[in-house]
Formats: sequence, structure tokens, C-alpha cells
Amino acid sequence: MLQFRDGFYADVRTEDRFRTIIQYKAGVLEELKTRREQQAFLRVYDGKLWYYASVTDVKHLQKTLDGLYGAATANPAILDDPIVRRFERNVDRIETFGDCSVRDIPLRNKQELLLSYLPIVTEDDCVKMAQGIYVDRNSRFRFCSSLGADIEYDYQTCGLRFDMNMAEGEKKFTGSWQTGCTRFDELTGLETEIREAAKESADYLRNSVPVEAGKYPVVLSPIAAGVFAHESFGHKSESDFMLSDDSMKEEWQLGKTVGSPILSIAESGCVPGCGFVPYDDEGTKARKNYLIRNGVLAGRLHSAQTAAALDEGLTGNARAIDCNFEPIVRMTTTWIEGGDLTFDELIAPIEKGYFIKTINHGSGMSTFTIAPSLAYEIQDGKLGRPVQISVISGNVFETLGLIDGLTKDVEMLSFVTGGCGKMEQHPLPVGFGGPYVRVSEMNVQ
Amino acid sequence: MEKEFIKQTEHSYTLNVTAGKIDSFREVERTTGTVRVYENGCIGVAGCLGEPDEAELTEKAKEALAFGIPYPEKLEGPLEAEAHNDAEILPVADFIPTMQSFLDRLGELCPRFGLSNKISLKYSQSEYRNSKGRSLSCSGGNMDISLVAQNRGSGNLFDTGFGWDGVGFDAEKLLAEFKREYDAFYVPADLEPGRYPVVTDPSMIVFRFVNHLVGDLYAAGASLLSGKLGEKLFSEKLTVRDDRNPDTAHGGCFFDAEGCVAPGFRPTLIENGVLKGLLTTKKTAETYGLPNLGTADAAYDGVPGIGFGKLYLDATAKSLKELVPGKAILVAIASGGDATPDGHFATPVQMAYLMENGELVGRLPDLAISGDFFDLFGKDYIGTVHDDPLDGTILSAFEMDVEKA
Repeated sequence: MLQFRDGFYADVRTEDRFRTIIQYKAGVLEELKTRREQQAFLRVYDGKLWYYASVTDVKHLQKTLDGLYGAATANPAILDDPIVRRFERNVDRIETFGDCSVRDIPLRNKQELLLSYLPIVTEDDCVKMAQGIYVDRNSRFRFCSSLGADIEYDYQTCGLRFDMNMAEGEKKFTGSWQTGCTRFDELTGLETEIREAAKESADYLRNSVPVEAGKYPVVLSPIAAGVFAHESFGHKSESDFMLSDDSMKEEWQLGKTVGSPILSIAESGCVPGCGFVPYDDEGTKARKNYLIRNGVLAGRLHSAQTAAALDEGLTGNARAIDCNFEPIVRMTTTWIEGGDLTFDELIAPIEKGYFIKTINHGSGMSTFTIAPSLAYEIQDGKLGRPVQISVISGNVFETLGLIDGLTKDVEMLSFVTGGCGKMEQHPLPVGFGGPYVRVSEMNVQ
Repeated sequence: MEKEFIKQTEHSYTLNVTAGKIDSFREVERTTGTVRVYENGCIGVAGCLGEPDEAELTEKAKEALAFGIPYPEKLEGPLEAEAHNDAEILPVADFIPTMQSFLDRLGELCPRFGLSNKISLKYSQSEYRNSKGRSLSCSGGNMDISLVAQNRGSGNLFDTGFGWDGVGFDAEKLLAEFKREYDAFYVPADLEPGRYPVVTDPSMIVFRFVNHLVGDLYAAGASLLSGKLGEKLFSEKLTVRDDRNPDTAHGGCFFDAEGCVAPGFRPTLIENGVLKGLLTTKKTAETYGLPNLGTADAAYDGVPGIGFGKLYLDATAKSLKELVPGKAILVAIASGGDATPDGHFATPVQMAYLMENGELVGRLPDLAISGDFFDLFGKDYIGTVHDDPLDGTILSAFEMDVEKA
């Protein structure tokens, strides 16, 4: 039992993380390991400065905590500090994956699952080298604070990724397919899906043509739309960026119109998947937050520090990638809400445009970018040839205002490789989602 | 049975900066240990967080041989070498007051900027031993100033940044350079679309094509460079290396994860335009009959894989003025670019300066720049300069197509 001292705020976050990685390249086993790490991150705050320590020796946390207290200065009024006053004092224990933990699944079963899919991705002769990866993670978190918070919860993801390096003559292309989920048994029976992805990549290698650069209507798939929402507006909703400039409060006033009236972007740590964060790393309970509702700025994401600075409520978005880092304002699962069209209705009015089906990566500042992987022409309201596009980009606010069509169904996606990067902390697992989204004009290169 | 033992310790102190003020101090110490054993063409790996018990790790690594991961038993031969640069960069007790004073002065010089992000002091030690008699060790440190700047009132996440990574913290020199950038930021500049010399950190372009330098993709025919090892493909001026030299890669390690030590501590990929090497491990080199360049990396509990330390392009000019004597574009932030499978590279540029005769003239609007792989490193490669404007900086220039975004 940790002994907290009066005159300070303190919290201690511990993680017991289990991971499996199995990797084959060109049919040969490259990696097969399980890893179990226990780490802790400790914070002490005296009202002026935060003192942090990251340790792997979780058996002697009191000693580390006392060291941090020694560096700080006692503050009799610490409980009146606006940051400390915001902290929640939740006491809870959540076990979501006790009956299906990947810790309990034999390594052999995981290896056999991956091996069962490998022949599928090399069926076409154009695949010169294929790589398959199985990854899983099960974490048990505990968070305790000097205010009495005491939370335990578990987290789990598992998934597969296949990369296919293809070549035919001078043509080169790297196709990929991946999926992430929370239960191992969801990874079985995926043969058809993987085979179709491999075939589509081979067709792209053989038949894709260079894009004619310019400005065109663009239709984004759910994954492209989710990344667009994350990159274009999600990062702008992380309110730590508002702390260094007082004029930001006026510029980012809630209620301001920031996008098309059909656009709503939501964010929540309650969504099952890789962005599942029932309590953030400051002990705040997850909730659904609207960033944009019907085109209007509706909210932003907070840690206790930013909520206090902007005099707003907590949102459950203080996250760290692991116990080497302090929590900062991050996303969990971000998605665009659905509209009222079918996919055919969405593309029907487009005379010449492009459909972005899969992506390599995205980024967002004043200009956002998405680097597509698989993309197609839209000609006279129908999908056409595969095309090679380096990057699509646009001014964030102009583009948010140019969204003029959404399909009804929303698809939520999880991944087990990669993740979100923010300054020194990368990769953080986050979820994405959305409907198919039509933008009337984007810059295509 | 052959065996390798590796121990690594990293100790860092990091300050968080918000609105020009330090608001947190973080200390992280992390030690890891690794044992790899080799028998009957297979590798067994065991690793730990914290002080390693070599005997215990060795037993676990032997057990891991049962996984049957193929790996050649080709350890490096006898060699004893060490490189230690343990000089204190700044006493830890002085870290907060020194850097707050620096930030206060920077804030006075740049009053329209809101400054945030991190300043770190990092120290590391690495030790490698193997059963063939190789024993290597190194240690060093660096300071990393990574500040992002918001132009007050812009509404942007950030507009530009001030950065430096090195060992000799010289506040006056850094403040003078950051002030030069600040002044240019507020001078509007413009240019007509066309072809211009674009000056940038070369990693922005090189790392978009680095997969074409990976040994197993090369051997599989999936690289744009497949079959061309030893051929002159690029500009005579272009030499590309992986920098593991402690003199320039501060805080880095002069050997790779398999104990390989390259001539000059810089494995060479391209030399005077000739494709000289590929990124390999001992396994990929053996499997595909390629020379092993010595660029392996590995997690503390993982099988070695392909790595890249720090990009190094040989200098071709002594100063920015000599490199690009006329009008040029200096890219400060270009985020989100990529290349098509056939090698066409394009990226938006969120922050760029117009330069004339190597001097900053003013801030350009958002741009889009592009070029093709073999041209960028061939006829369109202008050259590289080191240590201008700050010690440790490497900037390269390429002739590129430039449009307004």
C-alpha cells in the first residue's frame, strides 16, 4: 500500500503488458516471442511543477515516490489547485478479457493460425516476397492517486498483417492487408477476405495508371475517412495546443461553424477495439465527446491540465503510449457519423473523380494529407481503372466545408501495427471509423 | 554453441515546455539485457528489462532454440574496441534553471511565438560481447532541443519549430540562429511555380525510398534498384551512409546489433553515385548472397532485423551560400508526403523560407513539391552541406518541381 503525503498531489500508474509477435518472411520464420513487461509511471505535483519517474522495479515504488516528494515543495493549498480539483476519484475494477485472454492461448495455436494464411498471399506469381505477422497484447492497468482513485482494468488486441512485395517487369507494388480485433477467435475464417485483398493488389500492380494531377471530387472509404477525421480535425481538438497562445480561445470558440452541416465527428474511449480506454491515464472515466456536430465546433479533448486552463470539463483523453511517458492529450477512437446515401448514390453525380480505398498513412496541420495505397478513378458515376496517387491534400477547414455526401453505414476499424504519433510518443493505438465520404474538391498528386 | 551478450542503459532527463515555461521534469532510467545463442543453424533469444542475469538469460535463450528460427552462426571475430564520451553536457541540478533562462531570453527575442514541447538530456551506454572474442563498448550523450512555435493568432497546431541536437550547448549561438529564423518568418515572400533548388533535411526524401535499399526486397526483385548493386546510378556527388560515428552521431553506437563495425563507423550505401551496399543483417546477407553492410538493429528480446542509425550524406559544399548561390527554398516543415510504386515523390510543404545566397529572405506560402527517384538522386541532386547554419546540421539540395498548394 503506497503512502501518499499531504501537501502534494500524486498518482501511480502500473502496467503489466503481455505481447506476442510471430513473423514470417518469404516463408521462413523470422521472429517468435512472447514478452511480459511490468513498468510504472509516478507523478508528483506541488502546484508549480510536475515531477515524473518511470521505473521497471515495480516492487519498490514507495522509494521512487519518496524521491519525487523530495524534489517537490509541499503546498498546503494543493487541494485547491484548479488542476487537482478536476481529478476524478473513481474506484472501479473492470475485467473484459478474463475469459479469452491471449495470455492463455498456446503459442502453437497462434503460429498455426498465421501459417494457415501464408500460402494464400503468395498464390499469384507476381508476389516476390510476402511477410506475415501475428501480434497480440494483453495489458492489466492499475491507477491509484493521493485523492483515493483506485482503478483496475484490462485491455486486449490481437491481429494479423500481410505485406506482399509484388513485381512484374518494371512494375513494383507493395500490397498489404491487416485486421485487428479483441478476441483471438475473431481471427479465424478470413481466407476469402485475404485472398480477395491479394488479388486486388495484383490487379493494381498490373493495371494501375498514373493519376492526372489536379483538383477533383474525391470519395473516401471508411478507413480513409476515419484517418481524415483523425488527422484533419482530431489533432486540432487536442487542447494542449491551445495553452501556448491565449488568442486560441477566441479562434476556437465552441459554437463556431467549422464544416459542412452534414458533418459530425465524435470521439470516445468506450468503443471496443484498439482505442478502448475505459479510464484514461489520469483516472478519468471515458465518455462520448462530439468534436463537430452538424458542422459546428462542439467540444475538444482534455487532460486535467488543459481542462483547468480552459475552464472546461474532463473528457478522458489523457493518455501515454506506455509507462515510459507522462499522459498527454490524445485521441481514443474517432469517427465521422453516417449520412443517408448508398455507395452508388454517393458516386453517381461524379463525372471525373477518385475513390481512395486504402491508405499508407496520413498527417494533419493547416494542410492535411493522405497517402493512398489502392485508389480508383470514378468516371461518369462508376468506378474505373486503378490509379497511382502519391498524396491527396487540402486545407483542413476548406475541405471540412466541402463534404457533401455520406453513406448510411459506419464502419469502425482497429489495427495492431502502427498507431498515432504525437511528438515523442509513438505509436499509440487508436481506433478510426466513418461512412464513405464525398468531398467535392481535393488536391490530387 | 555460439553466444552473444548485450547490455544497454539509457538515462534521460526531459523538461516539458508549455507557453515558454517549464512545467515538468521527467527522469527515466532503462536497462536491458540480451543473450542470443546459435546452434544447428538456429537462433535462440532471451531478454530482460532491468539488470541482466547473464546465466539465467543464457538458459532461457537455449530454451528458445526450440522455436526453430533459422539464423546463420556467423558471429564477428575477435576485436576489442571502445568509444566513450561521458563528458557531462550540463549538470542535472542546473538543467531547469539554465533552460528556463534560455527560454526566457528566446521568448523576449521572439515575442509573437508561443513555444512548447521538450528539451532533453540523454545518456546511453552499450556493451556487446560474443563467444568469438569480440568485446565492444561505447557511451555518450546528447542534448535535444525540440521546440514547436505557434504564431500567436494563427489558429494552427504549430507554425514552425526550433531544433538542435548536439553536445556543446551554446545558448548565444542558438538564440542568434533562432532569432534569424523568427525575423524571416514575418517577412512575406513569394515565388512563381516552377523548378527551384529545394534545401531540406535529406531524410525527408531518402527515407521515402529507403525500402528500395533493403537487402531482401532487393534480392526478391521488388526494389527499384534490384540487380543494380555495383552500378553507377546516381549523381557523382551523391554519397549516402548510415552514421554510427560517435563524432557526429552523438549518443549513438559505433557498432550494430550484431557487433559489426564499419570503416569510419559509417556503413556506405551509395558512394559517388554507385550503389555500394544494401541494408542487411547477417541472415539476409547469407540468405541472398549479399555483402553484409552491418546495419542490424534488434529489440532487447528480439531476433536482429534491418536497422538504420542516422542518415549521413557526404558534404559537397562548405556553406549554404556555396551550395545554392542564388534563389532557393528552405523546407522547414513538410509533413505527409509519399512516393508512388514507380518512384514519383510528392509532398505538401507546410513551412518554407525563401533563401537568396544562403540567407533567409522571408516566409513562403504553403507549397507542393515533387520529383522522381532516379532524377532526385541523379541529375537533380545539387549537393549537401554540413554544420550550416548550426553545428551538426546536414542539409541537402535537390532541383524540384514547386507549386503553390
